[in-house]
Amino acid sequence: MRSVYFRVKELRIKIRVVGKEPKVVELGGDRKKVSEMLRELGLLSEEYIVMKGRRVLTDEDVVADGDEVVLVPVVSGG
Amino acid sequence: MANCVVCGRRAVYIERSSGYAYCERHFLKLFSRRVRKTMRRYELFSEKEDIVIAVSGGKDSLSLLHFMSKLAKRVKGWRIRALLIDEGISGYRDVTKKDFIKFAEEWGIEYRIASFKEEVGLTLDEMVKKGRSIGLPYLPCTYCGVFRRYLLNKVAREMGATVLATAHNLDDVIQTYVMNVIVNNLDKLSRLGPKTGVVRHPKFVPKVKPFYEVLEKEVALYAVLNGIYPSFIECPYARLGVRWTIREMLNKLEERHPGIKYFTLRSLLRMISTIRGAEGAEGGPLTCKICGEPSAHEVCRACQLKIELGLIKP
Repeated sequence: MRSVYFRVKELRIKIRVVGKEPKVVELGGDRKKVSEMLRELGLLSEEYIVMKGRRVLTDEDVVADGDEVVLVPVVSGG
Repeated sequence: MANCVVCGRRAVYIERSSGYAYCERHFLKLFSRRVRKTMRRYELFSEKEDIVIAVSGGKDSLSLLHFMSKLAKRVKGWRIRALLIDEGISGYRDVTKKDFIKFAEEWGIEYRIASFKEEVGLTLDEMVKKGRSIGLPYLPCTYCGVFRRYLLNKVAREMGATVLATAHNLDDVIQTYVMNVIVNNLDKLSRLGPKTGVVRHPKFVPKVKPFYEVLEKEVALYAVLNGIYPSFIECPYARLGVRWTIREMLNKLEERHPGIKYFTLRSLLRMISTIRGAEGAEGGPLTCKICGEPSAHEVCRACQLKIELGLIKP
């Protein structure tokens, strides 16, 4: 019987939710779709615009280890 | 990565209800088409209008101001001005007011600011404090909503507006719908249409909601793509209201069942036409016997609250 070893890389992303302090999160896996990232953070895609630098990312875009993303909250004040 | 369904470029938006992806350029075109379609479908504006846009400094109202002032360049008969009601919520309204002024001056838009303090006698913070101290059962949102609307109408009328436009988006409208159904405020439903106040009362400025059929996220994206980055700040009283939980619930629902929000909007529109059918037009309003403004009862809600807060005698 052969053993199979997996090398799992940690996906470290720096996240800044506008209005809050930036933080680094560690998610499982190598690369991840934005939709998965939001789900793992407990956030709703309906409520955030995700940006990397000046680029707006969609749910289908992928974030990789070392990326810095900004989450712009869609929900207004009151 | 998703590609624009129109031109194949990198997408910035995926319309979850249809699955179609759009690049920046084609998203903005889609957005504009939707809003103009709403305007046409519900006849929100005529060719000659003195339009006053109700603004708060938040992303929705700044986006509406931006959109309308650009559109107005192509409509000779339109005049655009902005009106901000300063409720006097410290740490919040003073911030968004600054954002508004910065953009209004940059875009060369005429505006007026009216405050609760000047017009009613107390800031919202003072009303909340006083209300609590005398044991009134109201949430801050109650004072805020009643007096803000009262002032928007009165001041817009004084400015000579033929129509008042607010930046309510689809999310706002369906949240209000669901809230009112849950708490049994069904008579309020007829005010939730895209256009209200047309035949109601001579002192009532007709009100329209051009963003009625666009999602809040779409308005936010419009703002981001157009460099309208207001301070992302939350009203300190927001989480106290019923709306906060309703919003969460509807967003979770949409996350799991994309497109369901549109069904809720259709439900609301149908409900409004049913109610209007039953009571004829929008149900005639009365005139407040204290202040002379349009009112649903003998004494308008604003005057009722003023009496309860001890600002005027009954």
